[in-house]
Amino acid sequence: MSQLLNISGLSAGTEEKPILHDMNLSVGAGETHVLMGPNGAGKSTLGHVIMGDPVYKVSGGTITFDGQDITDKTPDKRSLAGIFLSYQAPVEVPGVPLYSFLRTITQMRPELKMTARKFRQRVGEICDQLDMGQGFLTRELNVGFSGGEKKKVEMLQLLLLKPKLAILDETDSGLDVDALSVVSRGIEAYRRECDGALLMITHNTRILEKLDVDRTHVMVKGRLVAEGPASLIDDIDQNGFARFEQDGAAAQKAEA
Amino acid sequence: MASYTAEEPTVTLERVNTPPAQTWNYLKTNDITLTVPKLSRKGDVYFALPRLFDKVETGMGQKVTDWVTSQAADSTYVEVKAGEKNHAPIVVDVDSNAGTVQDAGVLVRQGASATVVVVAHGTSAEPQTSAALVRIIVEEGAHLSLVEVVATTDAHHHLESVGIHADAGATLDIRQFLLGAGVTALGTCATLAGDNGRVSLQTHYLGEHEQTLDINHVVRMAGKNGRAEVHENGILNDSARKSLRATIDLIHGGSGSKGNEAETVLVNGDGVVNKTMPVILCDEDDVQGNHGATIGSVEPEQIDYLMDRGLSRDEATNLFVRALFDDALIEADQPLARKAVFERAQQVLGAEVAQNLLDTLGLELAADAGEKDADAQATATATKESAD
Repeated sequence: MSQLLNISGLSAGTEEKPILHDMNLSVGAGETHVLMGPNGAGKSTLGHVIMGDPVYKVSGGTITFDGQDITDKTPDKRSLAGIFLSYQAPVEVPGVPLYSFLRTITQMRPELKMTARKFRQRVGEICDQLDMGQGFLTRELNVGFSGGEKKKVEMLQLLLLKPKLAILDETDSGLDVDALSVVSRGIEAYRRECDGALLMITHNTRILEKLDVDRTHVMVKGRLVAEGPASLIDDIDQNGFARFEQDGAAAQKAEA
Repeated sequence: MASYTAEEPTVTLERVNTPPAQTWNYLKTNDITLTVPKLSRKGDVYFALPRLFDKVETGMGQKVTDWVTSQAADSTYVEVKAGEKNHAPIVVDVDSNAGTVQDAGVLVRQGASATVVVVAHGTSAEPQTSAALVRIIVEEGAHLSLVEVVATTDAHHHLESVGIHADAGATLDIRQFLLGAGVTALGTCATLAGDNGRVSLQTHYLGEHEQTLDINHVVRMAGKNGRAEVHENGILNDSARKSLRATIDLIHGGSGSKGNEAETVLVNGDGVVNKTMPVILCDEDDVQGNHGATIGSVEPEQIDYLMDRGLSRDEATNLFVRALFDDALIEADQPLARKAVFERAQQVLGAEVAQNLLDTLGLELAADAGEKDADAQATATATKESAD
C-alpha cells in the first residue's frame, strides 16, 4: 500500500526545549494507526508538528504527505492538502457562528464546493449522525460548549471535510459514555464514508473497540520505542507502559 | 432631499455627540467636531415636523438637529394608529451618493407596533455628506423596532441622530449596523419616560482603512422598573479610529430600574485608535447599573485553529468581518437594508464571498428593493398629508 504520510528522522520542539527525537513513522492510505504512550511522551506534539503548528520548530528530518514534502508548509496548506487535526481541547472563537465557519472552510476546498441547499442538507445529515441539535449551528464556534459538544463539533468538521488523514488527539478524553459512543460513531462513519487514514492518539482502548487497527506505535519521552500489530494495544492495556519506559530511558541514555 | 457637491459652502458643528457627563478634555473623547455642507434655503417653505417632536432629545444634540432641519427640505412624518400591529416598515432612505439629508418623525400610538428602517447607502467615490435625523415617540404599551444600516464608502461622511421618547410600558428594540463610511457619526438617545419601559440597543460596527466612527449612546431611565440592555460589538482594522460614549442615566424617581452596558471590540491593526467611555449616572437608590468593555485582538491560538482548518491568516481574520455581515444580512431583512448590506459586503469581502454569504444564509435580494422602498415612502407621504 502506498504511504500517505511519511515521517523520516523528525526532530522538533519548542524554542526552549527539544521534544521529538529522530522519529520515523509511516501511515498508508486508508490505514488506521494508533499512537500510545504515557503522559508527556510527546504524542500530541507529534500531531501538532504534523499539522504545522508554529509553536513547534522542526530541527531535523522531513514530513512527506501524499507524495509532497510539507515540512515547511503552513497549517492551512497542510489542511487543504488533506490533513485534519482534531484538537484535544478545541479553541473557542467568539464572534464567529459555527454555521458560517463550516460553510467557509468547505467552500475553501474546490472538491467540496456545493450549493447552499446541498450544504444545509449535508450538515443536517451529519448533525443527525452525531445527535447534534441544529441549534448549535447558530452559536459561536465552540463558545460555551461542553467538552462533549466541542468534540462533536470536531467530528462534524471531520465528516464534512473528508480529509485523507485524520489525526485525532485524545478525542475521547473527558467524555462520558454517551458522548464517547457518539464520537465513536463519527469515527466509524469517517472510515466507512471517506476511507481516510486515521492516526489515533489515545489512552483509552475503548474507543478503538470498533476499529480495525493496522499498526500500533508506542512513544516514550519523544521517541518511538515500539511498533506492532493491533494486539499490542491489548498488551499495553494489561501491562501498561513500564517496559517501554525502560526502553525509552535506555535509548535516551545511549543517545546521551 | 438635498444634494451637495464638495465645492459648496460649509459650516462647522462643534462639540456634537456629547455625552451627559464629560471626562478629561485631554482624552479628546468628549465630543466630535464636524464640517458639513450648508445649503442656503432662504425663501423656501417646506413641510416641518409637528412641534411635538421638538421635545425629543436626540443623540447627536441640538446643533445637528438644527443643521438637519435647515438642510433637509421636506420632512417625513408617519403616524402609526393606536393598536395597529401590521404597519408596513417605515423606511428612511438616505442615498449617500447624492448627499441626502433626511428628517423623519414617527409617532407610534398607544399599543401599536412599528418597524422603522434607516438605511444610508452608497457606492460612489465622490465625496459627499449625508445625514438622517430620526425622532420617534412611542406611546404607552407600544413597540418599536428600529434597524439602522450605514453602508457607504470611504469617500462619504454620514451623520445619524436618533431620538426616542418612550412612554410607560413601551418596548424599544434597536439594531444598528455601522458597516462603513469615511466618517460615521451616530448619536442615539432613548428616554424611558414612563414606568416599565424596555430598551434593547445592539450596535455592530466595522472600522477599517482610515475610517472614523464616533458613537454616542444615551439611555435615560426616568420611569420606575425600566430595563436597558446596551451592547456594542465591533471590529477595528488597519488605522480605523473609534470613539464610543455610552451612558445609562438612572434618573431620580426611576426606582427598580436596571441597566447594563457592555462593549466588545476586536482590534486588528497597528494604527487603530479605540476609545470607549462607558458611564453609569445614578441619582436614585434602588437601581442597578453595570458597564464593561472588553478590548482584544484575535488570539494566536484562535488563528492557529482556523488555519488548521484551511484558512490563511488573512482569511482567518476576515472570518470575523464575514460574521458581522452575516448578522447584518439576517437582522436587516428589509429589502433596501439587505441590499445595502450586500453591496457593502461586496466592497469589503469581494463579490464571490458576498454572494456566498447570501447563499449560505439561504437569502435572496428582492429584485424590487428600490420599488418597495418607494412604496413605503409613498405611505409615509400619504400619512404626512393626512397630518396636514
